[in-house]
Amino acid sequence: MEVAVSVKGLTKKYSLYKDPWGPIKEVFTKKKLHKDFYALQNVSLDFPRGESIGILGKNGSGKSTLLKVITGIAEPSSGTVDVHGSIVFLDVSSGIDSELSGYDNIFMKGILLGYTKEQMLEKVDDIIEFSELGEFIEQPVKNYSAGMKSKLGFAISVNVDPDILIVDEALAVGDSLFRKKCMNKMNDFQEQGKTIIFVSHDNHAVESFCSKAAWVHQGQLITYGDSKFVGALYNDFMSGKKTIESVRAEIEYKHSIDKVVYGTNSDGFYFELNGFLNDHSDQDVHNQFELAVRDIRTGETAIKKLEAAENGFTVRLTEKEFPFFFKPGKYSFLARRYDETGTLAEFSLWSGKAVIEENNVDAIPSFNYRYASDKNALELIIENIEKVEQQVNKIWFDDKFAYIEGVAFVRGYETKTADSVSMDFHLTNLTSFKRAGYQAVISETEEITENPVYNPQGKVYNFSKFKVAIDLEELENGLYESHLTYRMNQSPHKQMTILVWASKQQEYPEESYTIDNKTVELKTSTKYLQVEKKEKTY
Amino acid sequence: MFDIYKEMWTRRDMIRSLSLQEIKREYAGTLFGFAWGLINPLMRIAVFWFVFSIGARAGGPVNGAPYFAWLAIGMVAWFLLNDGFRLTQKSFRSKRSIIKNTPFPIAILPAVQILYSYYIHLILLFVMYIVMAVALGTVSVYNVQILYYDFAAVMLLLGIGSVTAPLVAVSKDFGRFLDTILVFLFWMTPIFWSADNLGVLEKIVKINPFHYVVQGYRDSFFYEVGFWEQPLYTLYFWILVFILFVLGNYLHKRLKPVFLDTL
Repeated sequence: MEVAVSVKGLTKKYSLYKDPWGPIKEVFTKKKLHKDFYALQNVSLDFPRGESIGILGKNGSGKSTLLKVITGIAEPSSGTVDVHGSIVFLDVSSGIDSELSGYDNIFMKGILLGYTKEQMLEKVDDIIEFSELGEFIEQPVKNYSAGMKSKLGFAISVNVDPDILIVDEALAVGDSLFRKKCMNKMNDFQEQGKTIIFVSHDNHAVESFCSKAAWVHQGQLITYGDSKFVGALYNDFMSGKKTIESVRAEIEYKHSIDKVVYGTNSDGFYFELNGFLNDHSDQDVHNQFELAVRDIRTGETAIKKLEAAENGFTVRLTEKEFPFFFKPGKYSFLARRYDETGTLAEFSLWSGKAVIEENNVDAIPSFNYRYASDKNALELIIENIEKVEQQVNKIWFDDKFAYIEGVAFVRGYETKTADSVSMDFHLTNLTSFKRAGYQAVISETEEITENPVYNPQGKVYNFSKFKVAIDLEELENGLYESHLTYRMNQSPHKQMTILVWASKQQEYPEESYTIDNKTVELKTSTKYLQVEKKEKTY
Repeated sequence: MFDIYKEMWTRRDMIRSLSLQEIKREYAGTLFGFAWGLINPLMRIAVFWFVFSIGARAGGPVNGAPYFAWLAIGMVAWFLLNDGFRLTQKSFRSKRSIIKNTPFPIAILPAVQILYSYYIHLILLFVMYIVMAVALGTVSVYNVQILYYDFAAVMLLLGIGSVTAPLVAVSKDFGRFLDTILVFLFWMTPIFWSADNLGVLEKIVKINPFHYVVQGYRDSFFYEVGFWEQPLYTLYFWILVFILFVLGNYLHKRLKPVFLDTL
């Protein structure tokens, strides 16, 4: 591979002073009065000749600094840059003098690029034609619009025939026709075997135009490779799907979930994953990682270390180890680790070829479990087998308790006696995910049985009323969501877990309740019951 | 030791083109254009002549040269030094937009401004030469010496520019300081007063290298004195230029990474 530009161990440091006298004081005191800001940190990259390479990065990531160092506008603090061939650096305003006319600017820029007047005279007609400026070429550039300026800048840069063309977001201005023309010209360049370095924060432009791409983030090169691959990663990061640590970890490792076995046994739900997790030298690194199963809705995670297996790792999680974690919802599977600095890096394990197997041992599953692979990422989906109809009718505070009273029933499952059903109420802290369980008292009501809307078939749902008392003193501060577990004590012995529905706002206390200098507030704006306890504020 | 001057020499075509472009830029949009390069200094000479000759009644002939002519020739040399100094010291700062956006050998910028000043100077010199030749019959073989003094002035300016331009690029305050120095130099250089018969003070005045050029101009026009007739002063001048060159090269190397970041 012939290299057009070779960058090795490039670091660019800026000294930031708060005190304007800082630089002078530093000379005399030898004390460090500045903050070091690393615009680029140890970046090494080879730009192969004849290819179009994109540089991606958000604003302020260091991509423009990288260009400036490559072009020689800025000097590196350390590291080397080798450029083979002539470079033209194209950005909208570069080297354009607003006092001079467009025509004079063509010569001005030509001279700065090292061409003689005679050489420029040969090119000037092409440039004027390409720029589409027509008679405006004789006008001073200060009267040009931004679009006209960029047209002029682009026309000069592409027509002086450089070996390496560096384009810095220059195509953002200018109309679509002109942009197309520029793209055509750049395609010609590619065909002539010239090197184009294309800088953008837009991954689509880079993916469509460049064969390779580098991604710079906070002065560091995250990855360099196929533009589609880099573009997709960059997009995941920019859209907030992945953190930078996760992207780094994902690039660093090769991983796959090969097999999933799941089912229910006497201990409840369980699943077992088999797969591998290697670094790029094919070293097995699973022992640095844990498996994180994440409830996609709440963000709650169940974590377990990966164990060694024949061809990689295995990991087994059971409902017994993580009580009440596996309930209706969606779950994702991530590998995660803390790096040396204590930053969490996690990425979703690739599962494009995972074999999924169900194996129930002497037990009936309490929920419907299924696995899906969404964009090569494994997902566990848990659903209730039956639908629970429910409503909180009334909430009140008394002494240190909050009382919640409501009804819950499953259509078709008759509750003629008090022991035909049991219900549990759970509060889950949405930050710490600590749980508190409360057994509900079941009592008789004819509310459902007598209501033709709910009960057209005339079945008996007499024991459908539940009531729980929540000890507010014992509750830790925090925001809680509430679950109700409905357990059939007779055939078909199903069990359902649902978020508690509370849509009768007028029946609940509006004011928050004060107990021991703490306030307890009910939140039902989502129609699902949430409880928040916090320090009282005055 | 002289890397930046080698760079200037190899890029001399670029320097020339850029300084011509600079003239275009300076007079772009004006109707009289280039003529302003002439009108302005002539007006200033006239004003000074009026103030000192008519106003202050100090304008007697100087060693046989009429005061007005003596002043005018001194001013011609001074304008080159003044404009060159003024423009070259801020050559990096004033071209920061180009420096920050276009990769090119920026070491040549001080030279571009000096050459620009020199072009303007040539027009004034040409006009003055004709006027002097017609009015006073100053034509002599010593006139050729003007070329030597022009060369000396340009070299001096190049030394000064190489030293000051990087410093001004790093510190704006230094630019202000130099502007002040320039006013000081204007009055301290014997332009409207003669340095003759000042005794010890004459030696001090002569330390100012600008005096060498201004005096040299007058010698070439009126007094028919060759620069070789004052070998010590000539030697002093060139040693000074040499020191400035070495220092300028060092400062450029040392400060370029700094001002590229801070400019």
